[in-house]
Amino acid sequence: MNNPDTHSGVTNAKLGVWLFLASEIMLFATLFTSYIVLRMGSTSWPWGWDVLNVPLATLNTVILISSSVTIVMAYARAYDKDKGGFQKWMAATLLLSLGFLVVKGFEYGHEFALGIGPHTSVFYAIYFTMTGLHGIHILGGIAVNGGLLWMSTVDEHWNNHLFLGRVEGAGLYWHFVDVVWIFLFPALYLL
Amino acid sequence: MAKNNNNHDEHRPNVGLYLKVFGALMVLTVVTVAISKVHLSRPLAIGLGLTVASVKAALVCAIFMHLWGENKVIHKALWITVACGAIMLLPLIDCLLVAQRITAPVSVAEQHPGGHGEAHAAEAHATEPVKVEAAAKSKPAAKKGGH
Repeated sequence: MNNPDTHSGVTNAKLGVWLFLASEIMLFATLFTSYIVLRMGSTSWPWGWDVLNVPLATLNTVILISSSVTIVMAYARAYDKDKGGFQKWMAATLLLSLGFLVVKGFEYGHEFALGIGPHTSVFYAIYFTMTGLHGIHILGGIAVNGGLLWMSTVDEHWNNHLFLGRVEGAGLYWHFVDVVWIFLFPALYLL
Repeated sequence: MAKNNNNHDEHRPNVGLYLKVFGALMVLTVVTVAISKVHLSRPLAIGLGLTVASVKAALVCAIFMHLWGENKVIHKALWITVACGAIMLLPLIDCLLVAQRITAPVSVAEQHPGGHGEAHAAEAHATEPVKVEAAAKSKPAAKKGGH
């Protein structure tokens, strides 16, 4: 797909979002590399089922994948200029995002109550670092998606020809956050 | 992929495909959890688990993020990113080899008689046995720093 109005064939906004995501890929790749080095250098490494709450993490995986679908449905409604449909699916995305954080909060709370923290072991240090950074990204996504939901209530923004591109950009970011979790879940909890 | 009436390069949504991918992702999530519960050897479980995770990530990227049919400029940018990421993985090959050499108990005992192994990783790394032995003799106090 090429946009004749641009030099590169894609809008500057979309190119910017993808370049931002490229930098994010490098950030998380660094952490995953650290995880591999630490794991290979350890004489023992705990199994996620023994030390973490796998059922809650599985629930969070389902929540996050569902939110990826709801945000792409919101994009589809925005594409068709269906304001009510967009708002419904975007609100669902926000609820699922908050649900993810609540579940994660229960998980962290239980661990903290047991006196477990990043200081406990190398495993917990990398666990809290990676899931914490991912959680911060979830918060960022909630802020952006919440902003778009609010903007859709203002006709000036909703009718702006750039609005759909903004929704697509927010969706790209949210799917990236989902992809990161898709790798975090087995790496920390299952394998 | 076709453009919408805004004359921008947003992708035409395919709701039916999105729902099919959603179903596939749910099934693959169950498969990932099942792999970890079945009694497989750890390397095999890790390999299978990461393969399933890669398939899930590919589905999200290709369909939800519209990389399938995206402009080649985006593809090029991502290939450069993947290449840079691959460079970061290269030291892991050495790490794998060094880990085998250093943490194997026999190797530690041979290279650091009376030492505690991991505390001397920096010394043992990539040095000939003669040099390591000389270093161990010249720094007897350092051997007690291990854990």
